[in-house]
Amino acid sequence: MNAVVFACMDADTLGGVQQVTHTVAQGLALRGHEVHVIGLHQAPEPFRYVERPLYERHVVQRRPLGEGVRWVARGRVARLLASIGPGYAVLTSPGAVSWLADLLPPRLRAIGQYHGSYERARGTTHLASVRRDYGALDQAVFLSPEDARRFAEEALLPNAAHLPNPLRAWPDRTSPLDVPRVLGVGRLAPVKRLDRLITAFARAGRTRGHWELHLIGDGPELTRLRAHASSLGIGDRVVFRGRVPAARMGQEFLDAAILGLSSEHEGLPPAVAEAASYGMPSVAFDVSGGVRSLVLDGTTGTLVPPADVETFTAALSALMADPARRGRLGAAARARAAALRPENVLDRWETLFAHIRR
Amino acid sequence: MQPDVSVVLITVNDSARLPRAIASVLGQSLRNLELIIVDHAGADDTAALVSRLDDPRVRYVRRDTPSGHRGAPRNAGLDAARAPHVMFLDGGDELTRHACKSLLLEVERTGADFAAGQIARPAGATGRTQRYRPELFRPRRVVDGIRAEPRLFLDGFATNKLYRTAFLREQGLRFAENLHHEDHVFTAALFCTARRFAIVPWTVYLSHPAAAPASPPPSAGHLDGVRDRVRAAQISDAVLRDNGCSDLVGHRQQRFLAQDLRVHLNKLPRHTKVWIKEFASVVRPYLAELEPGVLQRADPMIRVCCHLIAADQAEDLLVAARSLTGPKAAPRHALRVDGRTYWGTRAHPALDITPLRLAELPFAASRIRHEVGEISCQGTVVSMTVRTYDPFAVLRRWKTTAELTVKGLRVPLAPRRQPDGSYLTQVEVDLARARLGRLGFDGGRDVRVSHVRPDGHRTSDRLLVDPATPPLTLTAGRHEVTVAPSGDGAVLRVSWRPSRALRRAARLRSLRDLAGRTELKLWVYRGLIKVVPRRRDLALFESDLGASYTGNPRYIYEEIRRRDLPLRVRWSARAKAAGFPADVPLVRRMSWRYVWTMARAGYWVDSHGFPLDFPKPKGTRYLQTWHGQALKTVGFESPDLRGDFPGPRERWHSAVARWDALVSPGPEFERVFVPSNEYTGAVLGFGSPRCDVLVNGDPGAGPRVREALEIPEDRRILLYAPTYRDLDRRGGTSVRVDLDALARALADQWVVVLRTHPAERFTVPERVRHLVRAAGPYPEVNDLILASDALVSDYSSIICDYACTGRPILLYADDHDDYVRMDRGLNYDLREIAPGPVLTTTAELVAALRDLPAVSAEHAERYADFAALFCAEETGKAAARVVEAFFSGLPGEKGT
Repeated sequence: MNAVVFACMDADTLGGVQQVTHTVAQGLALRGHEVHVIGLHQAPEPFRYVERPLYERHVVQRRPLGEGVRWVARGRVARLLASIGPGYAVLTSPGAVSWLADLLPPRLRAIGQYHGSYERARGTTHLASVRRDYGALDQAVFLSPEDARRFAEEALLPNAAHLPNPLRAWPDRTSPLDVPRVLGVGRLAPVKRLDRLITAFARAGRTRGHWELHLIGDGPELTRLRAHASSLGIGDRVVFRGRVPAARMGQEFLDAAILGLSSEHEGLPPAVAEAASYGMPSVAFDVSGGVRSLVLDGTTGTLVPPADVETFTAALSALMADPARRGRLGAAARARAAALRPENVLDRWETLFAHIRR
Repeated sequence: MQPDVSVVLITVNDSARLPRAIASVLGQSLRNLELIIVDHAGADDTAALVSRLDDPRVRYVRRDTPSGHRGAPRNAGLDAARAPHVMFLDGGDELTRHACKSLLLEVERTGADFAAGQIARPAGATGRTQRYRPELFRPRRVVDGIRAEPRLFLDGFATNKLYRTAFLREQGLRFAENLHHEDHVFTAALFCTARRFAIVPWTVYLSHPAAAPASPPPSAGHLDGVRDRVRAAQISDAVLRDNGCSDLVGHRQQRFLAQDLRVHLNKLPRHTKVWIKEFASVVRPYLAELEPGVLQRADPMIRVCCHLIAADQAEDLLVAARSLTGPKAAPRHALRVDGRTYWGTRAHPALDITPLRLAELPFAASRIRHEVGEISCQGTVVSMTVRTYDPFAVLRRWKTTAELTVKGLRVPLAPRRQPDGSYLTQVEVDLARARLGRLGFDGGRDVRVSHVRPDGHRTSDRLLVDPATPPLTLTAGRHEVTVAPSGDGAVLRVSWRPSRALRRAARLRSLRDLAGRTELKLWVYRGLIKVVPRRRDLALFESDLGASYTGNPRYIYEEIRRRDLPLRVRWSARAKAAGFPADVPLVRRMSWRYVWTMARAGYWVDSHGFPLDFPKPKGTRYLQTWHGQALKTVGFESPDLRGDFPGPRERWHSAVARWDALVSPGPEFERVFVPSNEYTGAVLGFGSPRCDVLVNGDPGAGPRVREALEIPEDRRILLYAPTYRDLDRRGGTSVRVDLDALARALADQWVVVLRTHPAERFTVPERVRHLVRAAGPYPEVNDLILASDALVSDYSSIICDYACTGRPILLYADDHDDYVRMDRGLNYDLREIAPGPVLTTTAELVAALRDLPAVSAEHAERYADFAALFCAEETGKAAARVVEAFFSGLPGEKGT
């Protein structure tokens, strides 16, 4: 079996990229690959994603992101990489690519990941970084077929492929969808535009007083969002649940009926995937190839033009009113989410390795 | 195992460049391939070189019959290919690393007969890869037969493609042997045969220029190249006709005019008259057999050249060819008859160049042709004679003075009118006086001749020189200077290289760069503000980040001057900022003096934001005047800050916390802008100082603008002011109105003053400059507003200011939904509040402008509502009231 190295700017902070990295690392290690996870910086509050990791973890410098001396760290990484291989090096962000791509020995084939959407990259410096650095790697990997296609065209990448992020686990039980509750999952940050979800819920729930909106996550917008809910007169029906540990998230899906995704930007939103795995349909703004790959409009949920709160309201309303339709869409969502079962995604990784060897 | 791809690499006596080609194949990301090296009877060490390759994927095919062409060896390689896919590579060139795998996947995915990718010249001295006609290769797509996109005949290469081997064999597609440009014939047959092919936009093939022969080519022998091209074109046409593709012949011939003929026309100035005559006689028969309509569809100057070839006017052809390259020189002579413009001195329909609009340009954009005759140098002085042709009578219509300019040097010229209407000038330039820089940069500038009118308007053009002129070299100061023709256009260029001593001194640059680092300035500044006291009588003003003397700060400053307040004001200005009155003291933005002034000034006044990370010193009073109403999302609601990166939000938070007072145009602004920025300080809601003049009027504005932008009295002025697109800054995509269509419809009545946003870059094409004046650099937007008869905008806050004038406003919002949902986002529903029609096509815009009074009347009520919302507080007295409110504490204040 091959060596697989994952390199993150910061491998142990609580975040989506790290979650995926450790999940895949453990999965590949279980399949017999020699796996290493390298963090270029120390996380200020390290989070333990895997109880008993079967892979090696390395932290290059004991300093947080933004500190430290680049050439010293690069020297350490180069020495570390000299002892590993042959196999594949997965660089998990544009930052990691620009740090490490030129340090990789030829026996480690370089795979550059980008965990955002094309739409997101276009509004930031990421598109320029991807255009500059990713074409020279053995493989550039994006979250959805559509993202891969758009990056290939706009960043002129000849080596773009797509590979979804895996679910953490595949539940045995599906949600009965009978608790009158809409879920919003994610940090309470401006980019999540939970204000729009609250507005849509307030309008949709006007005649359905028993429905609640539960927002799971914490963040800087809490006060503003709470004030917003009160100003719409539904302060008592919007429940701010704070952060819920991953292990207990399953119960949340079992106790709700619809997932609402109001973000301005998303890659491949894990909340939508996880909800789908519990057989729950989503109403989501159509903001990325990743969202479109999960939410097939009218089949596994409802896609709403970005920022169109009125249509979002109507979609939410329709699903709240129709339990049978929720069940139908939810079942289809679960069937579609099966592609994200960890074993299926790990198969995709191994196919990708074979493709690189071709 | 069968390989996936066979790469056929042909080579002859080129073992110097062969290793690069071989490495590019063996280093492919696709490992499973075979490399077939076809050596067609070379006499060098190629065989030995190949035998040293230790790679089982390499096969060597030697052909003993020499061939001067690529057809036979490529066919031999194709016959030897074992893989289901094949690519062709020439010995001097390279494949890019993912070429094979990416094209292979494309063919496998789409079921295409072949896949084609971008071909490019590698970065040479220019440092940039030159892609061949990239517009052909984007977007990535599958084309169902050439009839769907006949322009693809322009992709006449065999090398940038991966073919299904079986497809080539089944269709009998092979290369013609004993023929140059076999690619052209091959691709004609290929396009005619293929039912389905894929196109990808990334570069797959790097074509290195052939090792250049040292001696210049002009000799009769090189006409063979022309004959070969014509022959290849004729054979290609025949191939199309024989294969039932007669309808495509015209399209392929368009390729001949746009590409094959053009290649030779571009180089024409390098040849002798005899050669050019023969060239014309070689091409003429083919031009005569072109399908009807092909010539009419060609570019005007190509059409002119074809006519001159047909008419056997070699000298004129040489003159015309210089309008194809480089600066696209003006003709020597032109004729205006009945509103049409003709090249030369005859009103022949084939010489009609009206679409170039060269005769209708304003003075500053006008074109004059300068040709250098003899040129020599003595010491640092370059002497030359310049003959100037003025085909559009610019110099006869205007009184001008002439000067030659290059890199800080201005030499007055005395052109003498000649009996034939041209001008002759004897020029002496002492390059020792040019400012070539002290810090050791290499550099180069084209020499220009400018004509300057007494009112300051200037037009300039470059100098054409005989491409065969040997370079003049001289030493000027501490630079080695070369004066020589440059590029295909052969314009006179001065290039310099610092002497060795100066190059060593260039190391000082890193010191200078270090001293210029913002981090260092910020560090010093933080220390400075702890020790130096504030001066209550010193103020730092800045508008539009130092771009010009405009906006609220300008009018507040003028009010301060009017009241003679005891305040010394420094204005922040960027390096190239213009429009500041002579008596206004300037400090360069972000210079050390600027940092010092920030630390010392008791008052800061600006319209956007002083450098974000610079804290406000204790005691300084900061008046934020903001530059527009909040139609678009602003502050924390704008895309830059509503993102998921916390850094920018925190920075903006502390930047806003510096404001002591905010100038507000009215309650609507306060309702939206203040919460969007989480601003909690004082608000001066007296209206906008910048709008005072819009309310009070300024009779001088119209004449100023007409004078500065050369707008005739009989034309109405349409101000076109689109805002930028956040997702495509500097991309030129905010100018969405079709300017060509607008020019066709309106050029006889209107002039469009195009005011793009400072975050946008857009060059007005020459062919519409008779209609469109680029007014981006014009310093005062209020002048433009006051001079105009109507406004076209999209989502810019200029709409709100403009409404103070009561003049018609048209909105061109063809990308409204994208802008609102994916791009910046609006705080208002534009269709609901718009003070005029919201248009989405240029035709609608033209119709609205033709019927402006009716359109205005129809929207009068909406206009009034809009003005009531945004302009109610604009009473024309804002500057006075803001100054009273903010500067009232000044000691010894007079006048209030």
